[in-house]
Amino acid sequence: MVDLNKLRDKAKEVLIRDDVRRLIGWKRGTYGFESAPVVLKDASEVDILIWDATCVQNLASLLTLEEKPPVPRGQEPDTRKVAVMVKGCDSRAIIQQLIEKAYERDDVIVIGLPCRGVVDRRKARELFGDLAVPAEAKIDAEKVTIDIGGDFKTVERKDVVMDKCLRCRYPNPLVSDTMMDSEIEKFADDDFADVEEFEKKSPDDKWKHFDEQFDKCIRCYSCRNVCPMCYCVECLVTKLRPQWTRRSTDISENTAYHIQRAWHLAGRCIECMECQRVCPVDIPLMTLNRKMTHDVKEMFEYEPGVDPEAPPLLASYKPNDPEDYIM
Amino acid sequence: MMDESNPYLPYTVKVEEAWFETPGERCIKTFKVNFTDEKVWDTWSHKPGQCAMVGRLGVGESMFCISSAPSEEGYLRFSVMRMGKVTSALHELEAGDLMTVRGPVGNSFPLDEWEGKDIVTIGGGIGQAPLRPVINYIRANRDRFGELKVLYGARTSDDHCFKGEFDDFRKEGHGCHLAVDVSEEKWPHFVGFVPNLLMEVSPSPENAVAVTCGPPVMIKFVIQNLEKLGFAPEQIYTTLEERMKCGIGKCGRCNIGHLYVCKDGPVFSYATLKEIPEAFA
Amino acid sequence: MGDFKFAKEKLTDVLSALKDFKVFAPVKTDGVVRFQEVADPAQVSLDYSNSNVPPKELMFPETETLFRYRLGGTDLDVANPAEGPKRVIFGIRPCDAQAFSIVDNLYGWDFPDPYFQGRRANTVLVGLACADPCANCFCPSVGGSPASEDNVDAMMFDLGDTIYLKGLTDRGEEIASAISGAVEAAGDAEKKAAAGQAEEASGKIQRSIDTSGIPEKLPSLYDHPFWEQFSDRCLGCGICTFLCPTCHCFDIQDEVEQFDCRRARMWDTCMFSEYSLHTSGHNPRPTRKERTRNRISHKYSYFPTKFDVIACVGCGRCINYCPVNIDILDILEKSKQAEAKEEQTA
Repeated sequence: MVDLNKLRDKAKEVLIRDDVRRLIGWKRGTYGFESAPVVLKDASEVDILIWDATCVQNLASLLTLEEKPPVPRGQEPDTRKVAVMVKGCDSRAIIQQLIEKAYERDDVIVIGLPCRGVVDRRKARELFGDLAVPAEAKIDAEKVTIDIGGDFKTVERKDVVMDKCLRCRYPNPLVSDTMMDSEIEKFADDDFADVEEFEKKSPDDKWKHFDEQFDKCIRCYSCRNVCPMCYCVECLVTKLRPQWTRRSTDISENTAYHIQRAWHLAGRCIECMECQRVCPVDIPLMTLNRKMTHDVKEMFEYEPGVDPEAPPLLASYKPNDPEDYIM
Repeated sequence: MMDESNPYLPYTVKVEEAWFETPGERCIKTFKVNFTDEKVWDTWSHKPGQCAMVGRLGVGESMFCISSAPSEEGYLRFSVMRMGKVTSALHELEAGDLMTVRGPVGNSFPLDEWEGKDIVTIGGGIGQAPLRPVINYIRANRDRFGELKVLYGARTSDDHCFKGEFDDFRKEGHGCHLAVDVSEEKWPHFVGFVPNLLMEVSPSPENAVAVTCGPPVMIKFVIQNLEKLGFAPEQIYTTLEERMKCGIGKCGRCNIGHLYVCKDGPVFSYATLKEIPEAFA
Repeated sequence: MGDFKFAKEKLTDVLSALKDFKVFAPVKTDGVVRFQEVADPAQVSLDYSNSNVPPKELMFPETETLFRYRLGGTDLDVANPAEGPKRVIFGIRPCDAQAFSIVDNLYGWDFPDPYFQGRRANTVLVGLACADPCANCFCPSVGGSPASEDNVDAMMFDLGDTIYLKGLTDRGEEIASAISGAVEAAGDAEKKAAAGQAEEASGKIQRSIDTSGIPEKLPSLYDHPFWEQFSDRCLGCGICTFLCPTCHCFDIQDEVEQFDCRRARMWDTCMFSEYSLHTSGHNPRPTRKERTRNRISHKYSYFPTKFDVIACVGCGRCINYCPVNIDILDILEKSKQAEAKEEQTA
């Protein structure tokens, strides 16, 4: 188990350094099983940091989310390092961002947190109701101990964690400068059973399914903004000059948006499932993303966010790449 | 007068004349337009400072100041700098073509309050467009106002708008002080930025009002210099712009603090803007 | 004014009696509730806390046509939102109804918006009082209450097996007469139970904020660094604004489809960077710090400065759905604690 005091000490140690300008971690949320990403700039603030099964956000997104406005004349940009805490799945985002040269390895200090799973807030709401007080959740291999304002409950891990945690192959960060706990065994292999089940549907049924789902979309772009791999300064979908996708929310534009995003993530999505978690209208976005992940694995034997030396899939070529539609 | 039943409906206007004021990539084109439905004039009235949403069906609309004074009857003038989608589409138009106008919207310069005072207009580049109706209003109502001084600067002499009108100002006895940013051959007037031109001309704040429009950074320094010259915030007026879509205070985006530039503006006194932190952020 | 009651299991009969109206009600699909036009009364469920997307989408649709035209033509075919049968929003929560009254101020300001006003005039609101406010509800802090009858034409109270319906306005009476065949007169028992429920519900509200002084204080905190605490993690998405019942900003775009064109408006959000981006590239609110500050200031300072009412109804959706737990009550509490410049230098 990660010792929270040791984690805070480590954070302090990092923030005190002259060559570090900020540290990204989690703090307790304001209600229920919420946690909030927090950006610390001073070592005196580390006591706000937490680490438990509520720490769901993928903090690698905050690395690319940071806005860098033009620096006033006479000032130099602050190029010091950013420290970030990551779980296993989050670390794959960092590797993929490094593969794509979003930043240099030296620009970040990665604090690795082997993770046993994070609470699925929808499942938690079913089990514990609508909570106004913040709750804590400590997890081990089988059980999750919940503390709701001093009221303790225990539940089975499998009943309360996110679906991705049930098939987690990478509980340990694949890149780190410090690892805050000993390694954890992977929880399961991914057989993509959900993808293959969906593939069995008829084209008409698939189309109907997606029509119903995309019809709900309100184009809040939360899925895109939370995604650690969506970091284009100007996104194709919201570009105005020229404008490729209309802003109106009819089924054609909504479908175009989601399909475009799924394609742009092909070979890049590291399956943190944040997009599906944040969607306010519950669109099962991972259906598309996991299909792409599955196809990429089958066709190219490639898994994004694992090997930092591997070139980006769609920016590289192997002679035995399948391309029967060209020749 | 906008269509009362539906303020989103534009009027169709025909371009009577169109000509370029300035050259280059960001050229300025002036359009003289008239309503295709003459009856619109029956309820139309606008005041200097007011604007209209001008555009083309199939493209969109943007906010432009009405660059003609009410005394210029039978037509409206707009001066458009080519920058993006709507302005490029407008630049394609020539005499005989149609565009849309929706307005008038916004407030106007409080010319009634300025009667008897000396007026100084300080314009930069395309910022002269909203000052033009003020100048023409004063010229058309000469005896109601004190002295008129027109200060106007642009990057080069090619970039001055409404070039043909400067000699008329001088003939009528108004001050006309021009400037270019960098010296050029055969330029007999001031060389330097507009805020410096202002200090050179050094108008007296006694019973005077200063009106300025131009790039945001120019406005900022002009206001600083006007204060140095002794103008009180209540004596300084400007007209601002922001991105606009509805033009009628509903879509929300043009706000500066609690003020909507399309409705509470675009004309603001510095006394008002001083109280708004967002105004000079 | 009439007071009625009907058994909850007879809800489908009551809805069927409204056949001359276009009825919108909460429909639960895959566990998620959203207001929809009711095709089959059996789909309607009054057993819900609140919809994810607020019923503002019924008065101010996410995308709507302003007018149509032919490319190259000048005739405008103007959409008429008040066309068709009278509409009923059946089962709207008091907070969402209060939001309409708040937004009326802006949509009726100077140039009345015929699309919004047209729908408003053609819609009857039948409210559903809250028996169990959700954890993040704070309507009493912003002038509302779980059973507020101020902004609806009729109010229903879910008393368990029975629904008690109170007609409140003339338009509410219209509804009452339409459904008179499917309901019975209510008596003192129902009235008393409803009043009791309303009082209990107010007691169940768990979160609050004292808003006095906030509208005046926020502009003085313009340069204060406390905004960064929130903007640092803001994703810049549209969830808080799109799910907010009082947010009303929109974009207008021309859409050309060969020769058939329309000018449409669609929801926009001050959280997107393009919202205030000038064509020149200048953006008066270039980063999320400015945009976050603007959003909160608009709701709790600018709007009240203009219209004397805070543009928030305490529905809690922004808190419930923000992916990074940016909590408006947290922001407001911190703003109260933050020292304004004058206080700092004193």
